[in-house]
Amino acid sequence: MAEVILNQVVKTYGSIYAVNHVSLTVADGEFVALVGPSGCGKTTTLNLIAGLIPMSGGDIYIGDKLVNDLDPKDRDIAMVFQNYALYPNKTVFKNLAFPLQMRKLSKDVIDSKVMAAAKVLDITHLLERKPRELSGGQQQRVALGRALVRDPRAFLMDEPLSNLDAKLRVQMRSELKRFHHELNATVVYVTHDQLEAVTMSDKMAVMDGGYLQQYDTPKNVFDHPRNTFVASFVGSPAMSLFPLEIIGAGTSVSLGSPEGWSFPLNELNSRKANASTGKKVILGARHSTITVHKTAHPGAVPGKVYTVEPTGDVTFAQVFVGDSIVVVSVEPQVMLRLDEPVWLEFDQDRMHLFDGQTQLALNPA
Amino acid sequence: MSSMTHTEQLSVRSRRQIDGWRWTGRIFLAILLIFTVVPIAWMFITSLKTGFAAMQYPPQWWPAAPTLENYTRLLDTRDSVGQDFLRYFFNSMYVSVLTTILAILVAVPAAYAFSRFSFPGRTFLFFAVLMRNMFPAVVFLVPLFILMRVLGLVNTHGSLILTYLTFGLPLAIWLLKGFYDNIPIQLEQAARIDGATRFQAFFFIVMPLSTPGIIATAIYSFIGAWNEYIYAYTFLTRQDQMTLPVGIQRFFSENATDWPGLMAATFMMSVPVVVLFLVLQKYFVRALTEGAVKS
Repeated sequence: MAEVILNQVVKTYGSIYAVNHVSLTVADGEFVALVGPSGCGKTTTLNLIAGLIPMSGGDIYIGDKLVNDLDPKDRDIAMVFQNYALYPNKTVFKNLAFPLQMRKLSKDVIDSKVMAAAKVLDITHLLERKPRELSGGQQQRVALGRALVRDPRAFLMDEPLSNLDAKLRVQMRSELKRFHHELNATVVYVTHDQLEAVTMSDKMAVMDGGYLQQYDTPKNVFDHPRNTFVASFVGSPAMSLFPLEIIGAGTSVSLGSPEGWSFPLNELNSRKANASTGKKVILGARHSTITVHKTAHPGAVPGKVYTVEPTGDVTFAQVFVGDSIVVVSVEPQVMLRLDEPVWLEFDQDRMHLFDGQTQLALNPA
Repeated sequence: MSSMTHTEQLSVRSRRQIDGWRWTGRIFLAILLIFTVVPIAWMFITSLKTGFAAMQYPPQWWPAAPTLENYTRLLDTRDSVGQDFLRYFFNSMYVSVLTTILAILVAVPAAYAFSRFSFPGRTFLFFAVLMRNMFPAVVFLVPLFILMRVLGLVNTHGSLILTYLTFGLPLAIWLLKGFYDNIPIQLEQAARIDGATRFQAFFFIVMPLSTPGIIATAIYSFIGAWNEYIYAYTFLTRQDQMTLPVGIQRFFSENATDWPGLMAATFMMSVPVVVLFLVLQKYFVRALTEGAVKS
């Protein structure tokens, strides 16, 4: 296994930047998830690492080798595709053997390697079947088998679980994680599902609009989102964001709304607010950090219940605060009625403040 | 037992309706079959007759004394009629097979390029290729003749092969492009990552998957070239170069037409096409239903 390094990688289509100066290092044996909404450039980035499309600029290293101008076959990587891309006219055995045949290995070596991979993935009984005779989960395993049959230097995976049904997806998620652990494999894993990224990866690279928005451990991305995009993308339900105005200065700043209410910030948050380029900030709060009061409460802001979604363990509710919707959660025994007035209290130690103009997270001035 | 429930009545009625439609379909097919089979049958029956029997009125539905003489004569290398027929047959085979091979060699990469690569002028070029099919073939007769004369190709089989390619390639490219469009690009990408060059990925993975399309293209090109008359008649004047459709005209003469001989020749001429089609029809149908229609 080897590390994968992207340095200022650019891919343009005409005047559009599909990948805009992306730099990141995937350490040897690390599981990195490229995550973002559709069209964010994550799959393009993966295809650039694979060498399936030409780069417009930058450098890519696999191990200590600069691979910019190498064909996919010379990069010594393996890839698992979203639709599995199993060769439909070949049996499972021949699908697994194909990468080895292309490397001109002897028949005996091919046989033993295929059998070994098939054994690991528990697909030995399927070897004589054609891909169309397999279930989705079995096809998934064969695709994985074809990737690991020849000890590549890195695995690239393009949404490998998204064609599976929900139950199988959760099962394969843990199996993939186990497989990564046992092989100590370097994995670059593309997904649009932030939950997959958070649960599986050592590090996640959040992308949007061709830019790498944040590259860090899932915990850090979750706890310290760098900007409003990352804040709203990672976590489910999404973090609520709403624009407020700074009132006052120094160490006792309040945030106020156009409707006229305001609440004071603690010292740390005051210093963060002071770092804002203008008078506008965006408050970010996850549902778990908001306390819902049924009566007016000091420091809490007024809102009106819009929807209520009981899930069993916890009840989510959307609350209108001014023009913004805030998602909150309450214990299932708390009854909320539609259009009921409520007061929301934000946990000052776990709230996020973003610059109203740059959308970047604010650090204490 | 005498009274049926409502649903039973309904199902009987709908079954009657289905039967009715099925019979309508059968009658329609029978009419169509008569329309297509009777001429072929009559061609075959006449080819078994003597010249005298062929002209009898009322016609003999089945010859009183069937004979294979018309066929043996066509295949007899000592007989001048046989010599000519075999020469025409060989010429037709030569032109058609070469047209077919060239059509595949050109159409496969062209269709693949149209399907997989984006390059400036792609849409225009594809439209230009298909535009050929908007005009009747005969419109190009005079311009192509002049072109062939300038190129010095008149009275060569090359002129026919080039012309047939002009007519056959647009559909061939269009048909094959439909096939390649339906083959996920990830298959090639997977192959290239698995260690194949771009060409190997095409050759080992994509091409086997497009076999039905290639076979359909082959049949289409072959039949087009094999049956073509007007260009063969115009471009070739030398007797020894003629292809079958033009050559069998020799059975017509000023004084009398050798109907049984003509029918034997036309029957022999249809044999390669029928055999080709029977053997490969499975692929042909698959190509027309799978390739052209986007799934």
